[in-house]
Amino acid sequence: MLNCHVLIIGSGGAGIRAAIEAESSGSVIIVSKTITGKGGCTVMAEGGINAVLKEEDSTQIHFEDTMKGGAYLNDETLVQTLVTDSPKRIQDLFNWGAVFDEDEMNRIAQRPFGGQRFPRTCYAGDHTGHEIVMTLLERLRGSKVQILDEITVVDLLVGNDGVYGAITVDRNGKFDYITADAVVLATGGAGQLYSVTTNSTAGTGDGYALGYRAGAKLIDMEEVQFHPTGAVYPIDSRGRLITEAVRGEGGILRNKNGERFMECYDPERKELSTRDVVARAIATEILEGRGTPNGGVYLDVTHLPREQIETRLPIMLEQFLTYGVDIREQMIEVAPTAHHFMGGLQINTDAATTIPRLFAAGEVSGGVHGGNRLGGNALAETQVFGTKAGISAGKCSPQKITPDTALIAKLEEKVNEWMNGTLPIAEARKQLKLLMWNKVGIYRNELDLKVAKRDLAVLREKTLKISSRMEIADAFITENMMMVASLVIEGALLRKESRGAHCRTDIKQSWTPDKSPFGHTWFQKEKRGIEIREENL
Amino acid sequence: MKVQVARYNPETDSKPHYETYNVTVQEGARILNVLDAIHDTIDSTLGYRHCCRGGQCGSCAVRVNGEPTLACQKEAKDGDVIEPLNIPLIRDLITDIAPVIAQMAWMNTGCTYTPVTREEIENIKPLRSCIECYSCISSCPAVESSTYAGPTIMRQEQRLNLDPRDIDTERIEKAIEKGLFSCTTCRKCVEVCPKKIDTPKKAVEKLREVAVRKGLALPAHKSLAKLIEDTGRSVDKIEKTFLEMVPDVIEPDGPVRATVGFFVGCVINGRNPQTALDAIEVLKRNGIRVIIPKTQVCCGSPLIRTGFTGFIPELQERNIKAFEDIDTVITICAGCGSTLKNDYTTPFRVADITEYLVEIGYEIPGKIKGTFTYHDPCHLLRGQGIKDQPRQIIRDMVENFVDMPARCCGAGGGVKSGQPDEAAKIGKIRAEMVKKTGADTVVTVCPFCGLHLHQVTGLPTMNIVSLMYEGYRKK
Repeated sequence: MLNCHVLIIGSGGAGIRAAIEAESSGSVIIVSKTITGKGGCTVMAEGGINAVLKEEDSTQIHFEDTMKGGAYLNDETLVQTLVTDSPKRIQDLFNWGAVFDEDEMNRIAQRPFGGQRFPRTCYAGDHTGHEIVMTLLERLRGSKVQILDEITVVDLLVGNDGVYGAITVDRNGKFDYITADAVVLATGGAGQLYSVTTNSTAGTGDGYALGYRAGAKLIDMEEVQFHPTGAVYPIDSRGRLITEAVRGEGGILRNKNGERFMECYDPERKELSTRDVVARAIATEILEGRGTPNGGVYLDVTHLPREQIETRLPIMLEQFLTYGVDIREQMIEVAPTAHHFMGGLQINTDAATTIPRLFAAGEVSGGVHGGNRLGGNALAETQVFGTKAGISAGKCSPQKITPDTALIAKLEEKVNEWMNGTLPIAEARKQLKLLMWNKVGIYRNELDLKVAKRDLAVLREKTLKISSRMEIADAFITENMMMVASLVIEGALLRKESRGAHCRTDIKQSWTPDKSPFGHTWFQKEKRGIEIREENL
Repeated sequence: MKVQVARYNPETDSKPHYETYNVTVQEGARILNVLDAIHDTIDSTLGYRHCCRGGQCGSCAVRVNGEPTLACQKEAKDGDVIEPLNIPLIRDLITDIAPVIAQMAWMNTGCTYTPVTREEIENIKPLRSCIECYSCISSCPAVESSTYAGPTIMRQEQRLNLDPRDIDTERIEKAIEKGLFSCTTCRKCVEVCPKKIDTPKKAVEKLREVAVRKGLALPAHKSLAKLIEDTGRSVDKIEKTFLEMVPDVIEPDGPVRATVGFFVGCVINGRNPQTALDAIEVLKRNGIRVIIPKTQVCCGSPLIRTGFTGFIPELQERNIKAFEDIDTVITICAGCGSTLKNDYTTPFRVADITEYLVEIGYEIPGKIKGTFTYHDPCHLLRGQGIKDQPRQIIRDMVENFVDMPARCCGAGGGVKSGQPDEAAKIGKIRAEMVKKTGADTVVTVCPFCGLHLHQVTGLPTMNIVSLMYEGYRKK
């Protein structure tokens, strides 16, 4: 059994940032089900990180862009924190060695991104997330933080005074406890609930399930962003992210007839409209028969100078060359792909969840992005709220609680059931992902959602099957995925409007997002609901 | 699709074994998709790492048919053999990378704000794309035979060394402690790197330059550098050199098909002049007029590899001037060829003799009896991309040719002079590979490899030109 002052769960951008910040407050452990730094989606993030750095820009405009992009479902105080702190966090990264691209005046370079009125997205080529993680790792490795790799958290320890640690399982299936004065959840999102996703295999939504079981409140779980541009070929890499930077650099979307269709959907912003709009436009083109033979549309950069592609989009170029496509000469085929969960654990500006001693940062939290996230705001969120969570967790008073050994005995019972189960993990995940993609995707309606709810319930009734202790972590994770999926479906049923990324084709509404009578959907213990905004009734 | 996968469970197996799996995968499937298929449909206990599935996290590196690669990027082929990286094993394809990570340097930034220029950023970038997959560590011959921490560890040291924000004043000392002088500059790490990071050139040689400036170079390298600066040659004069034996221009037998300049490296010029004389005979026989400027000097390779680059501009100038009116300059030493091609901007073309002969066509020599193998000099294979030409020449003229995969002999990069024990250890592994071929003669195109291989194998070694000349004499 290990003990520490602050326990950080998750090792992407938010988790490592929180660990670095918490270091000065006492002993810190960062635990990751993967290798620290490799698991999260931060390392895969390509395009950039938003921050107001120039005088011509302002945090007020960044605030307005984010609120508008988020269909006014965002928590204003969280957005305020995001836009105010992001420049400071960029400066931290820079001071710690980040190799961001610079302009000819030796300033951090910024490029335009969708839904923003000012080019405020800082970048390192098209591997910005990788750059940030490497910078954070350089910092982390120089710190006293204890790093635990390939340890999966299966449950939080909750007492009368809030959270006091976590139960873990290692690679070989051995359970253990880590007790702590405070816990930070930084486990990222749950794109893996969908069969087509940009997320790493670690994006299974464990933090939502851990927080929910511990009694914390979650919001807006139905708000799932489908990134407009995922790969369509080869079949096995369907969904792989084609960064928004491709459009930021001037890429044009065309249907099979060569038409620049974004001119019909958003004549003003075209390809650089918000992601929800572009994703739905592409989905509509495909649904209405104007897609490519592989079921996508074209993203065209062949008109750009070769050198621009080589220096600004080197990873895109390299990845496509691996698959035999030279994007300097051939058009890319793209289609929407599950990308980001805007919803999650409700937090305040200190990154505190609704239960004591539990904090959340990054994609696992909800409220910052509202109904739709702007490109470049996720990396900013990891740094801003990772820092906040680290500070807040560090301030928690010491506590000494010895966990009840019966807790692990209970988990062992579960393991025994799985050993005699019937549903192989791979099969369960496959069915879940298809179900979510087919019924809870970009376009939703009540009938599909109810079918999804029923089918998921049938799936959850079966007992997972494992054949060795090495699969215990995977079994817990699979159960987490199914639980999170149920929250997404319930949220989608509760939100009887189209708002942000959530689009209900069966509902006609008379309001624009800013005048919506609805607020957050919420989920806590066995209760759920949707907030009513009385001022808009 | 049928593949073999190395399996190992530390609780039940004493050593890894191979299992054959037959799985169905989609067109264009990667190795990772094959592993998924095995895991999902045949054996859910198969241990392997994966995460981003897009070549960005570096989790999934394995060896496929012996060569490190990212499982998520490498297209799967029927019959592939999938093994873990050559790093201490935990289970199946999962290796213990924690000790490697522990060697990775971190930035010491102090607390002041330091501006960084765009130029500085651009210099760091080529060393920054590492995804820590550790393919380079897995395949580095120096790592296997010494305490060298490995290529990416040096990459990180130089990345920090280039960054004005890093205030660590002992970066070089730390790099030396981690084995800076162990790298043979064989470039295997560049070959296997998914991001093609040129660690030997952009990190190791640069760090060695700083070591030289700080007076931390190895004594053997210092005396070598002094010898070159004093004499223009990396070997001292003990007998009549090749350049003292030949006229400035040698006319071919029969009509002139082409004219080339001839660059003779220090080792051949001073120690094995016969090799160069054989090369001249081969060129003559193929109708090539040979011009041999006597003002040519050492190419500078030993200096560049060991960090003594101060004298390089002068060597470059002298060599370029020596050959200034010539279109093509021929080398018969891999190290010289690689240096002239990669570390010079020459107004003339440089070609290895095998490359040149195959290109313009050559008379096939008479058959030679015996069993021969070919050793790829690293500076020919990876430094110049020449692999097939020497094999073609040998195969056509010997009774029995047994090929072997490439592997560094351990002599290069100043290791043989600076750290002879390590060179011998790497050489010993190479000697085993040579022995397995059953060859009684090793052919190569590098005098340094030839000398070292002779020492570690006890077998005769031959420059390819000498083999060819012997074949012509047989006719």
